[in-house]
Amino acid sequence: MRRTIITLLCCVCCTMTCMTAQAQVKAFEKYSDAKNVTYVYISQFMLKLAGLKATPSLPGVNTTNLMSKLDCIQIISSEEKNAALKLKADTQGIVQKEKYGLLLQVSEEDEKVDIYYSIDKKHGVVIMLTQENNEVTVIIFSGKFTLEDVIKMVNK
Amino acid sequence: MDELNLKDLERIPIPEGLEKRLSEKIDEWEQAEKKPHFFSFNKPLRHVSVAASIALVLGLGYILLQQKVSINLAEQDTYRDPAIAKREAERALNLLASNLNRGMEQMKKAKDISDKTEHTLNKQLKSWK
Repeated sequence: MRRTIITLLCCVCCTMTCMTAQAQVKAFEKYSDAKNVTYVYISQFMLKLAGLKATPSLPGVNTTNLMSKLDCIQIISSEEKNAALKLKADTQGIVQKEKYGLLLQVSEEDEKVDIYYSIDKKHGVVIMLTQENNEVTVIIFSGKFTLEDVIKMVNK
Repeated sequence: MDELNLKDLERIPIPEGLEKRLSEKIDEWEQAEKKPHFFSFNKPLRHVSVAASIALVLGLGYILLQQKVSINLAEQDTYRDPAIAKREAERALNLLASNLNRGMEQMKKAKDISDKTEHTLNKQLKSWK
């Protein structure tokens, strides 16, 4: 009886974990209707329609492998000061709450870029937060990929 | 009349092994009556079966809900033209790659400086010996 209860609890926990991972994408969906915010959503369905063969624009960068593993891409940006600050605060809140790891932080003159990641066996999310003057852009890559897939993209 | 019938009955020979067969049959019937029905299972097993049914129903409901959610997400695509969607996706990925490259370049510079410092230090230590 005890074993059955423990098994059922484990199943519930696994379900909740899966639901939490999807909740990361949903946390940003509220910006689809927000004022002074540009929201772009590209689903796996649309990516597959487009065909996975990427046309490289940067030398030595191959995005085909990672693109094939993406479930969706969300691009949120704002040039309005208050909306941009709110977007930045929300993103940092989510990153702190869900204990994302900091992959990279680049700070140059007027531009600051933070790249966060949360990758486990079933699901991966990479969030790139860019701040330039008063403009804030957040790009969320969500899918079934590993950190190696992300690093392999770049020039060696 | 009754006395006569009884006397006739007593004269009828009893087949061999009848008593044994009858008692075995009676035992069989007794065991069949004792066999547990579903609802006479012990309580924990009943609870487990009920819990398993509920879990199955919840699981099926969740799977159906996920299918519905994925259909809704496809309807929320910003671009209707796959070519434009692909272009934007590539732009986003190239931006990620370029930032990662910048970080890695800085990391390589730092590593070169660190290696150079280590080399100089080792050289100095050897010369002191």
